[in-house]
Amino acid sequence: MRALLRAEVLKLLKQSKTYYALAAILVIELLIFITAYYQGSTILDLLLDNLKQSFYFEGTLLNGNLIMYIVLNSLWFNVPLILMIVTSGLVTDEYKDGTLQTVMLQAVKKWKFILAKYIMAVFFTVVVIALMMLSTFILAYSIFGKGDLVVYINTLNFFKSADAFHRICWAFASGTVAMVFYSVASITLAIFIKDSAKTWIAAALFLIITNLLLKADLGIPIFNNYFFPKLIDTWQQLFYFETNWLTIGVNNAVLILYCLGFAATGTYLFNKKDIG
Amino acid sequence: MLTGNNLSKTYASGKALDDVTIRIAPGQICGLLGRNGAGKSTLFKILCGLIKPDTGQVIINSQRPKPIGGIIERPGLYNYLNAYDNIRIFAGIQGAPADAESINQILVKVGLPLNRKDPVRNFSLGMKQRLGIAIALLNNPECLVLDEPFSGLDPIGVTSLVNLIVSLAANENIAILLSSHLMSEISKCCHYLYVIDQGRIVNSGVTNQLISRHIHTFSITGNHLSTSKTLQGYEVKYGINDAKVICHAQDIPALLQNLLSEGIEVTACTPELTLEELIKTPAV
Repeated sequence: MRALLRAEVLKLLKQSKTYYALAAILVIELLIFITAYYQGSTILDLLLDNLKQSFYFEGTLLNGNLIMYIVLNSLWFNVPLILMIVTSGLVTDEYKDGTLQTVMLQAVKKWKFILAKYIMAVFFTVVVIALMMLSTFILAYSIFGKGDLVVYINTLNFFKSADAFHRICWAFASGTVAMVFYSVASITLAIFIKDSAKTWIAAALFLIITNLLLKADLGIPIFNNYFFPKLIDTWQQLFYFETNWLTIGVNNAVLILYCLGFAATGTYLFNKKDIG
Repeated sequence: MLTGNNLSKTYASGKALDDVTIRIAPGQICGLLGRNGAGKSTLFKILCGLIKPDTGQVIINSQRPKPIGGIIERPGLYNYLNAYDNIRIFAGIQGAPADAESINQILVKVGLPLNRKDPVRNFSLGMKQRLGIAIALLNNPECLVLDEPFSGLDPIGVTSLVNLIVSLAANENIAILLSSHLMSEISKCCHYLYVIDQGRIVNSGVTNQLISRHIHTFSITGNHLSTSKTLQGYEVKYGINDAKVICHAQDIPALLQNLLSEGIEVTACTPELTLEELIKTPAV
């Protein structure tokens, strides 16, 4: 398995697609920074004009914490879409180039090969989110400095600077679990569909449907609480004024179980299917 | 020894293989001739374990970690990597030696240059075929299957690949099965031939015997063939540079002698055998 993982790392590092994905995420970050730098103060002043007359806010509200929160919001659609495209390519490219057939003609077990793909997808996702978090921290704090965080989730919530930083760190961790779920799902879709373009369409559809179902009332309480579309925004709960840490922990644990379920299904199907 | 017994496979589009039995001994090169869509690739995939047959079984008498290696349809390579890295990856994932010396050794074995460091997407088709064979040979398989290895190669590439295949069978005692729809290429290097059509083996035999049994046309090239009196006694189709004579193989020596007596300088006499003839007239 270690040899398979080493091969996967080499392939990932040698593919230009990997760097395009990282560059795309960096571009999203930079666009957020540029917009915030030139227009952020004006928008915040408009939103909080009345509140500023009654409350005192420490430092400027357009600060590193707010920028990090805005970057975190790219976990809704932009980042998972890029991740799903790249990670599904780990499988679809092997079908397209005929390398899957070549691999299966070697002394390699099918289940080990596909399991290595899942592990690599998780590893790549974690690395991308870690890089995203690190680069945002460095840039946001060095350009915009620290300060209290104001976010709007049903109502305006305010967090002291230190508390905000703490919550953002946990939100990145919880967001990573959601992103891992999308990556694992995209590998499973790739095993089913095989073709790159069709898998991208299916991945985008999966993402859209998941986001739509997130807000929909599914009628049955257990579905409303634990069906996977209801769990992908768990990181947002870290910005509720009253934080329910137990619910956040349980939601992430259930989402990890979904990841394992998707991976087990994909591995079983891949092992069963003919190659060619 | 590679054996496929009574193999059958049906897809939604129809029957791809129908009760096919095939045997290849160590050191033997077997050819599988058939039109496109005759069932060659399906048979190869079944022999390599990529797809499961509906009925029948594949037997490979081998204790090696990789009993069979091969290329099916085209060499599947990581085009963004160079030849060295391709071999490193495929050797590494199956625990075969992946050090520089071993990799260079296998590159030399298949006749690939050691100084090419660019991605294999820049390689010619012939070089890709060689790299595909190098990967297939990793971990010393006892059998090698090559699906359409000559497809798209120029004559020099074909000759060079034929030499490589012959030397692998002779020097390493590997059982080799290769397919083609091109008669001339496959007859150059195979000890034994199977002819497949519509998923069934319709003809088989030792290459020389099978070919001589079915040859009825000879292409003769020489001067003033159209005025030859000798040729008037045969069924002949005159081409721009040759005359296609329909006769039995045993009549050829006398025919050539007579042409020489007439003063016609014969420069070549080539037997012509088409795949259709092998399909239409099964061995007795």
